[in-house]
Amino acid sequence: MTLLALCNIGLWSCVAVLAVYTGRHYFFTLNRLFGKHRQPFVDVLQANWPSLTVYVPAHNEERVIRDSLDALLTCDYPEDRLTIVPVDDRSQDGTRAILEEYRTNYPLRVVPFLRDEGTPGKAAALAEAMTRRQEEIFLVFDADYIPGPRLLKQLTAPFFDPEVGAVMGRVVPLNVGSSLLTRLLDLERAGGYQVDQQARMNLRLVPQYGGTVGGVRRVALENVGGWRVDSLAEDTDLTVRLVLNGWDVVYQNRSECYEEVPETWESRIRQIKRWATGHNQALRRYGGALLRNKRRLPFWQVLDGALLLGVFAVPIVLLLGWMCTIVLFYAGYPPQWGRVTILMISSFNTVGNFAAFFQVAAASRLDGSRERIRLLPFLFLGFLVSTFSVARATLSRASWWEGRPVRWQKTERHRAGRKLSDGSSGEFLT
Amino acid sequence: MLLWLALPLVPALMELLWPRDAVPLIAVGNDANNLTYFAESFTARANREGLLGTLVPPRLTDGSVVRVHSQAQPLPAGGKPVTDLVVLVDTEPVPAGTAFASECLARLTLRGSENVTYRALLGQRDVLLGARSTVLRWVHARGRLEVAGGCRLMGRATADRAIVLGSDVVFDRLESDVVRVGGVETQEAPVLPTGAYEWFVPKKATSLGTHYWRTHENLLVPVGTALTGSVISTAAIVVDQGARVTGSLKAHGDLRICARAVVVGSIAARGRITIEHGAKVSGPIISETAVVVEAAVIGGPGTRTTITAPIIRLYPGATVYGAVMAGDDGLTLS
Repeated sequence: MTLLALCNIGLWSCVAVLAVYTGRHYFFTLNRLFGKHRQPFVDVLQANWPSLTVYVPAHNEERVIRDSLDALLTCDYPEDRLTIVPVDDRSQDGTRAILEEYRTNYPLRVVPFLRDEGTPGKAAALAEAMTRRQEEIFLVFDADYIPGPRLLKQLTAPFFDPEVGAVMGRVVPLNVGSSLLTRLLDLERAGGYQVDQQARMNLRLVPQYGGTVGGVRRVALENVGGWRVDSLAEDTDLTVRLVLNGWDVVYQNRSECYEEVPETWESRIRQIKRWATGHNQALRRYGGALLRNKRRLPFWQVLDGALLLGVFAVPIVLLLGWMCTIVLFYAGYPPQWGRVTILMISSFNTVGNFAAFFQVAAASRLDGSRERIRLLPFLFLGFLVSTFSVARATLSRASWWEGRPVRWQKTERHRAGRKLSDGSSGEFLT
Repeated sequence: MLLWLALPLVPALMELLWPRDAVPLIAVGNDANNLTYFAESFTARANREGLLGTLVPPRLTDGSVVRVHSQAQPLPAGGKPVTDLVVLVDTEPVPAGTAFASECLARLTLRGSENVTYRALLGQRDVLLGARSTVLRWVHARGRLEVAGGCRLMGRATADRAIVLGSDVVFDRLESDVVRVGGVETQEAPVLPTGAYEWFVPKKATSLGTHYWRTHENLLVPVGTALTGSVISTAAIVVDQGARVTGSLKAHGDLRICARAVVVGSIAARGRITIEHGAKVSGPIISETAVVVEAAVIGGPGTRTTITAPIIRLYPGATVYGAVMAGDDGLTLS
């Protein structure tokens, strides 16, 4: 087989893969615009609420953790059934002093868990902290998240269905106006949650447990083997294992929680590279098991799961497609505009964790936010950065081979107005 | 050509340089999961405007007119829709067929006539809606809310003490200490000590954990047995007469709790859930299709709970302590 024949086959294959992803995006968008909204648990207002532990993993979070704890303490969950466990994993800043202060002020409600040894990282910290408590249901919030007063009940309600293994809420950026990047991430998050996640929920596919504003049932977690402490994306890892073992993952679009998105491109690149690496690890670990489908999961769920796992490998497919096109062109083949057009259209719709343009537009319409959609052309900038960041992460050794040490990889915080441990104000960073 | 291509960038650049929508999405709504939100807001407004005082002001601070309905000053019968805010200062019934296009405040017990349409109604004491009346947005009673047959409760209907529904009442969302169909108290199924039952463990089920199973077959909890634990069935579940379940149940198909059976826990189904007469369920009932409650008791005086489904049917004797949330279609039957 000649190089040209290989290129021809390669191009067709790439176009086919990208077309599937593009079709998926269109399908999800149409579902959200015209389909039935599935949210079976959103109306559970009254119940005998179970005992609940809220874990807040933290590593050098002095800028943000007060806001998170204050918000959790004002939630309307019955006080006698709620325990907040900030999990500090070897922080070097003033996080521990803040946690001790909360322990003193709220001795029955805030029970910090401090660790200096063992495997570092969020999953390992959670795994160790969980051994100290017995509650059947627990929620996990990142330290920069600020929940609304009713969020805990909303996220707990789906667990009245014993088949639900994990629940994910919606993430809403708080620092939208800080920079062009934060505004683009705001659009991206809207598309990703309002359209992508909710469409998966509507269609009984694979909504993703995101690990930042959500909850897990203990028996489900133990049933699938607990937290994987060697995973960079413990949330994706857990999602796939739950689905493979027949548990439901629920997305609650009305359970909104504010977060701080990266304000600098460096921070954003680090974040998306971490996501890509962790995601690809999950693809390597569970891609085969998902496709073999020994538990006879529904076909569409398997397909969606496979596409979800493969989403960060797409830039490689994309780059390969363009390389094949160039080789064929210089080898004297006339451009086949049909294929090239599909490739071009697909390019914008398939890469990384962010939503396609029309998904963002649909999400803005569903959210009723009209003006921010004007920034849509600038998403091209985010697309370029994501493509190359994800491609680099996907080609890295960590994506596909075991053996890399796991360590804390956290997103830089920028929140202003807090006194830091050295006595200075955080405002200089914004 | 380049200018043509750059055209979409004009609004983008304008939004970037002079932001008009760069604030966080208003995401965490105050009224989420709070059915009395509008009633509370209206109460606060009524207090601010002095509508609960000795003398009712003729106008609100925004200039809109306030009308009073009383024995001495009744609203005219059979007229045009009343577009002003109305304060009912005594127990004089409103004329039959009246339509209130604005909010209504009843300072004493409201005895509604037939065919009255309320946009929104706040009763400071009991509210008794006449037959075939309609509430368009919300109604809240500080005491009891009694709804006669053939009424339509669109939106939220709440009461501090109790809601009593007649037959053929269409509803969306109800919440109170207790919601009853018909005024008669329903006899609860006796919850016997566990020793009074024969233990039941699901056969051909996969164990997911301690007292946690999944089965791919229909599950029948037989008469006189007790199941302790949670079960997921990818088919249907029937809890037979007089059986007891302490745990949660989930069925991909239909789920039936037969007469005098007891479930101490929640139940969920993708299909229809039927709670037969004399049965008792203590936890939330969640269906993605429909819930039918005969003369059964859901929740308890100290443990409020929720029924939620697209379609809900309540038969006479149905008693729910807490909330009844019909996504598409709620109806009481005779």
